[in-house]
Amino acid sequence: MKILLVMLCAWALAAPAMASDHGPVFGYATPVNSQGEVSCDAGIFGRGGTLGTQVSTGTGCGYGVTPHITLTAFLPVSFGSGALPENRVMPGGEWTAGASWRFLHSVTSVGKRIESTASLGVVVPGPQTDSGILAGQHRAAGVAGTLASGYASRSQYVWFGGGYTRFAEAARDRRPDTISWSAVYGYRPPKLRRGYDQWDYRGFAELTGEHTGGVRSNGTIVPNTSTTSVWLGPSVLAIFKNIAIEGGAQAPVYRDASEAVYGREKVRFAINFSYLRFSGHNSSHGKG
Amino acid sequence: MIMKRLLAVAAFALFGVVAQAQYAQVNLTVFGMDCAPCAHAIHVSMKGIQGVNTVDVDLNTGLVTIKLTPDNKASMRQFNDAVEKNGFTHKDADIIVRGKLTGTAAAPVLEVTGTTDRFALVSVAAGSDVASLLGKTVTVAGVLPQAPKGKVADTLKVKSITEAR
Repeated sequence: MKILLVMLCAWALAAPAMASDHGPVFGYATPVNSQGEVSCDAGIFGRGGTLGTQVSTGTGCGYGVTPHITLTAFLPVSFGSGALPENRVMPGGEWTAGASWRFLHSVTSVGKRIESTASLGVVVPGPQTDSGILAGQHRAAGVAGTLASGYASRSQYVWFGGGYTRFAEAARDRRPDTISWSAVYGYRPPKLRRGYDQWDYRGFAELTGEHTGGVRSNGTIVPNTSTTSVWLGPSVLAIFKNIAIEGGAQAPVYRDASEAVYGREKVRFAINFSYLRFSGHNSSHGKG
Repeated sequence: MIMKRLLAVAAFALFGVVAQAQYAQVNLTVFGMDCAPCAHAIHVSMKGIQGVNTVDVDLNTGLVTIKLTPDNKASMRQFNDAVEKNGFTHKDADIIVRGKLTGTAAAPVLEVTGTTDRFALVSVAAGSDVASLLGKTVTVAGVLPQAPKGKVADTLKVKSITEAR
């Protein structure tokens, strides 16, 4: 019963605005599920560097409670033993659950809207151990919050977002706090502004960045474990009605991380598959 | 027993006559849809309304065209709800609707058959003989202006009004 309650609480809390279905694959975006909509995501997310590779695969689900509030959960499984910095933009091995609230939603004309979405969630260490500097660390749960704002239209998309994750301490160990940010530009060429019963394509340029604090081990900060990096790369989103496939890659444009600790992280990539199930149920019936 | 059956048949026949098409077609302009899932969501929601026959969504114009079956009891509120639950905004709606004309010749009111929808008719063309249609079942083509979220406009701008066959 306790486990069930914990799971329900986890569902009721918020997850970071992890990229999925309608938006970019790396950066933060504003779309949320419509009321009654169930979305399921499955993806492969990889990071490669001179000290190894880390690949995560996972399944995420979302449910639209209202037109502007979505509950989400993401359960990844990670492979590889790359000694890579703490990361929140790309999914790692942590389980997350939470909710997103689109608190600003201004519809300006046909196909255009300006909106802002805030997310809050819990991040729980998964059953797999971390690698690199984080291996052997006692792990505790954390809290993650994100905020994204943007503009969507039939031709162009612009999103800006940021997030902060803070972990609790466990046995005098603590994973680093992470500040992350992103800027995304998307474009759909005129020839692809077609009917909804045809494949809908759009391309994104995604800029993401992160700053992680130092890793605390046995009560002291491990030297040279704080990092800052900025990544840039393209991604493409293809949607047919309620199925979406998205892929992208990023390379570093700025990196301030100890090579002795983390090596040189060179590439990030992501492939995501989404299935959206919309609700045909209508709350009011017959006589209006 | 035979009498009861006859009454049941008569009642069924009478109900069949009353339950003619009310909303025949609704062309609703929707703001905010930018992509295929938006349109698909609207399509699924509209098809979930009992009596909706076909739904067509044009993403570039934002126009949602809904055609209904003759025996539907759908209300305008349901169409608006289907838009709102997907996070979009409904604007003007071009409708073809059937109902009983009540009120007065100066202030005619359309009571949509089978629903509680009721619209004050405005902008009726000067040539229309509204007085002769009072108390009759009419078919009206007109425009419902945008209403606030959760509401349905209470006036219908008439394009044409004819006695229903």
